[in-house]
Amino acid sequence: MVSVDLLNIVMLIELGLLALAVALFFAHGVWLSFTQKRLSRLTGTGRDSLARLVTRGTVNVEEMSVLQSLPKYVQVIAFLEISRNLTGTGKERLRFVAQQIGVIDRARSLCVHRRWQRRLRGARVLSQLDVPDPLVLTLLGDEHPAVRAQAAEWAASQPSVPVISAMLSLLADPATQARFAVQNALLRMGRVVAGPLGEFLESQTGRAAEAGLRVAESLAAPSFDSAALRLSQSDDVAIRVASARLLGAIGDAQAAERLSAMIHDDEARVRAAVAQALGRMQHWQAGSLLAEALRDRTWRVRREAGLALRSIGAAGALFLRRALKSDDRFAADMAQQVLDLPEAAAG
Amino acid sequence: MNEVISSLVSQLLVKGQYAVLLYFLAVNGWYLVLLVSSLLELRHHMLLITDESRHLLLSSTLSPTISILAPAYNEEATIETSLRALLALQYPNLEVIVISDGSKDRTVQVLSEKFDLVPVKTIYEQRIRTKPVRSLYRSSTYPSLVVVDKENGGKADALNVGLSFARGELVCAMDADTLIEADGLQRMVRPFLYATDVVATGGTIRVVNGSEVKFGRVVKTAVPTNMLAGVQVVEYLRAFLFGRLGWNRLGGNIIISGAFGLFQREAVVDAGGYLHDTVGEDMELVLRLKRLSYENGGPGRIAFVPDPVAWTEVPETAKSLGRQRDRWHRGLADVLWRHRRMLLNPRYGITGLFVYPYYAFVELLAPVIEAAGIIGLALGLLFGIVDWNFAGLFYLTAYGLGTALTAFTLILEDLSFHRYDSFRDRVLLFWWALLENLGYRQLTVYWRLRGLWKFVRGRKDWGVMERKGFRPVTAAG
Repeated sequence: MVSVDLLNIVMLIELGLLALAVALFFAHGVWLSFTQKRLSRLTGTGRDSLARLVTRGTVNVEEMSVLQSLPKYVQVIAFLEISRNLTGTGKERLRFVAQQIGVIDRARSLCVHRRWQRRLRGARVLSQLDVPDPLVLTLLGDEHPAVRAQAAEWAASQPSVPVISAMLSLLADPATQARFAVQNALLRMGRVVAGPLGEFLESQTGRAAEAGLRVAESLAAPSFDSAALRLSQSDDVAIRVASARLLGAIGDAQAAERLSAMIHDDEARVRAAVAQALGRMQHWQAGSLLAEALRDRTWRVRREAGLALRSIGAAGALFLRRALKSDDRFAADMAQQVLDLPEAAAG
Repeated sequence: MNEVISSLVSQLLVKGQYAVLLYFLAVNGWYLVLLVSSLLELRHHMLLITDESRHLLLSSTLSPTISILAPAYNEEATIETSLRALLALQYPNLEVIVISDGSKDRTVQVLSEKFDLVPVKTIYEQRIRTKPVRSLYRSSTYPSLVVVDKENGGKADALNVGLSFARGELVCAMDADTLIEADGLQRMVRPFLYATDVVATGGTIRVVNGSEVKFGRVVKTAVPTNMLAGVQVVEYLRAFLFGRLGWNRLGGNIIISGAFGLFQREAVVDAGGYLHDTVGEDMELVLRLKRLSYENGGPGRIAFVPDPVAWTEVPETAKSLGRQRDRWHRGLADVLWRHRRMLLNPRYGITGLFVYPYYAFVELLAPVIEAAGIIGLALGLLFGIVDWNFAGLFYLTAYGLGTALTAFTLILEDLSFHRYDSFRDRVLLFWWALLENLGYRQLTVYWRLRGLWKFVRGRKDWGVMERKGFRPVTAAG
């Protein structure tokens, strides 16, 4: 038999572990309750002082000393909380106070810390306060994707030429997290990106082109025309799909012409994207092409063609009604389903 | 005669005790590794999410479209509230597909009245074979809502129909009664945005029993006072916060709760969708996706998001809980049997060499070993081979480390999300963690053994789940 002594030793160890866990659990509870109350009180004080400083727009020594007396982490919490609700002059005043209190300097020093977690923290503070500090720009080349993504988020509110150019080069970032953040930030920058992005797309292929096309689609500027036309002939299916979508978003005559040619692409994904794009453009002249696509061998293409016909109005509806009597059962079925859709669901 | 039996039992006990103790030591040792792994993972995760502006990044038009697949069977009483909560989720590109799986009550009529449904022709691309669809509806007021009425075929069949109608790049499979946090999808989609090889994500599911629910959202969390529900709170915390989170860091996640999971639609459809003839269809799908990624290449990472993203009601009666655990264990056995070629097969990487053996030898066989230990101890007492002191000591030693690990899981929850922060909740949590080993655990051993037995006999029925209903918020004040 296992010796009772051995069992006693094991049980004592287990009891010790259990006692430690219980002590930690309850002690942490007490500590949490205490710190949360304290944090809530201190953050409230900081928030009130900050709100008064930002509203008045003048430096009040008393309020500043209240802020300065708060623990540093509480200062950061208060600044970040307030910053979410401010823009323009209000945010400028907030930045000024943050500078005076030392919040910005501390964040800057975190940005050059050797540990990525600290750099991320620093970049987060500077991003949320919209501090136009070139130091964050250097973080676009950071080795950790989370830091690069955070720097990209910061860049969204700093739409200058060097920033945009650095961001565009990150469209080929191997890390999805950083790439997505860059795309999103470029979108938030708005129309100012259109010119540089158009030029960038002129020379790109592969991952960068695909990522850029998605941004361009949302911006839908006519300056993307030539890049979209070039990339629509790419060997890469994903790029042809993204180009078709962009052409649909641009929606000019050149785009319509190219899309009409692309509807016979070998790849079903591309044909579906083209049908969707023609529908988005409400290009009624493409009605007969879309009616032909209703007979496509791929379900998805037929569906997009049907929806496109529905969205181009009376001419499309006519084609759909004609298709009801088609000898092609699949085309007739799809036409019926699309015609059945309620207005709200047909978009 | 008695002496012969007594000597036989004695010999068995002497040899068996070391095996049982060794097993407990190995299992708990591995749990310790998982605990450390989950601690590291949780720390990393908390660093990434603290102060992040998720709303800016994830409420973008670039976010992938998600189709929520909500199977419903006889849910007329709750479907309106559940659906309104789904339609109000904070996610930019969302489609909700409710699949009435041959409901015999007024589920479809209630939906039709409350959401202005219009019947449309039932045409769809059937890439997975399912039971026939009776009718299809679109809403005149909610463009993103699709309602499918189909013949009864079970949850897997309903989800497969949903897959045929879904247009999103990602599909979210859930139970009709799962309550999703308002920003739950934003949290769940994160791994897909951060890596291209992710095929599915699961999140932490919490127990809703005892908490207050308003308009399909949990507004106040509380640990239930019902013992069965309370112990399950502890079990869920342990399963998610150190089990799945720990495996996540080691790259060995193979379970996504059927109550709430997010999948790449194309990958699921290409894999053939959910299997009908198993009661463990959630785990089966995940393991199949994982296996196919090893065999054919392509995305195969199963990511786990530790944030509490959804809430589910757990059984409060022994009968109902027993049926659930029996079904879960049958499901586990069935899934492992179907994919047995992965066992210790280096072709399947860490899944074949570590994860599969863990599930086979630890999760699946645990009730057998535990039952052997309990029976052995009882026989020892009966034949006077061991005295009560020794038996008590052996029992406490066997379960002691598990209890300590559970207590450390409570600390993990407290350090990260601390949803149960009142003193009452803490005391209750700890109390349930202690009580778990006194009766409850032995009951689950029995239920799981029953599940194994039924698996051997080839039973594949689901049993009936009785629901008590959520605790609503009382009137103001």
